[in-house]
Amino acid sequence: MAARETNPNFMNGVPELLILRLLQQEEMYGYEIVQAIRSRTDAVVAVGEGVVYPVLHGLEGDGALTSRRRTVNGRSRIYYSVTPAGSHRLADLSETWANLAAAIQKMLTGGQHGEAIP
Amino acid sequence: MAKQFHELRERLLRAGVAPRHVRRYLTELTDHFADLRAEEERAGRSRADAESAALLRLGAMDDLAKAMIEQRQFQSWCVRAPWATFGLTPLLLLAGAYFVALFILWSGWQMFLPGAVTPFGHRVNGFVNWYFQAGRSIYFGAPVFVGWAIALTAARQRFSAIWPTVGLVLTAVIGCMARVHATPPAVPGGIGHVGMGFSLWPSARGSLLYALVILALTVLPYLVWRFQKALSLTA
Repeated sequence: MAARETNPNFMNGVPELLILRLLQQEEMYGYEIVQAIRSRTDAVVAVGEGVVYPVLHGLEGDGALTSRRRTVNGRSRIYYSVTPAGSHRLADLSETWANLAAAIQKMLTGGQHGEAIP
Repeated sequence: MAKQFHELRERLLRAGVAPRHVRRYLTELTDHFADLRAEEERAGRSRADAESAALLRLGAMDDLAKAMIEQRQFQSWCVRAPWATFGLTPLLLLAGAYFVALFILWSGWQMFLPGAVTPFGHRVNGFVNWYFQAGRSIYFGAPVFVGWAIALTAARQRFSAIWPTVGLVLTAVIGCMARVHATPPAVPGGIGHVGMGFSLWPSARGSLLYALVILALTVLPYLVWRFQKALSLTA
């Protein structure tokens, strides 16, 4: 079975953005987060699933997330949710990403000096 | 799977990731792996195939390790500041323990031996004896307990021997040179004082022997742990 391909350089900051966005809607645990990212991006965003935890722990360390342990169906899970600081961070990241996406879109569709790509 | 997680744990600890972060990471990875395996089994795979697929989805061990190691906020203080962990902290702990021991000695002197010119050399019984013995135990036990704390910290972090050795030797030297003295009250009925100094008096040989005893008591558990670790790796 071939290893799943990821695009780590381009992905910098993207998992953080997606995680904050997901957790703003509801609290989730790691496995749920990864499945939600996969299903909501139609598997376009592919990450090694275990790598989500350092991102979660990092965000928690920065105060953007908070966690609590819950037992569901006999299994203990660590659920994450967004803090007010995390909401601010999400807003900043969203704005940065929207600007970047708009700039790339402009580049691809022509812009001042470019030509439209068919 | 247990083997891969064991290797990941060792790799993270050796790279300086704090044990509490490693423990939590592995707990969550283990849970995630179980969820993935269950999902693959529901999709009709055999147990072995489901485990292989789950492992693949979890990510390569290199990536899992790198993701933690690259974040400086997960580094333990042993790695960030070994001089503070193995040099300064033991000194502060020893100072704190000696302060408590001296306070017990001084307060016992004032409470139970009023008018005595020194708290030493009195025959006491019952609670008073226990009181003074508590202070004595803290005084003599402090270097050993601090040494054990150094050894435990180094072992948990899979730390190389240099800095822990510095801390252990420092603790043993201070432990062997610490001397308590009492100053009688200046006037009859006044309050006497207790203090502490550092010297090799009355016998340099005796002090060095005591240092070796402290060192042996603290180093031995650490050496046994390293030996066991080496055996388990070669097994």
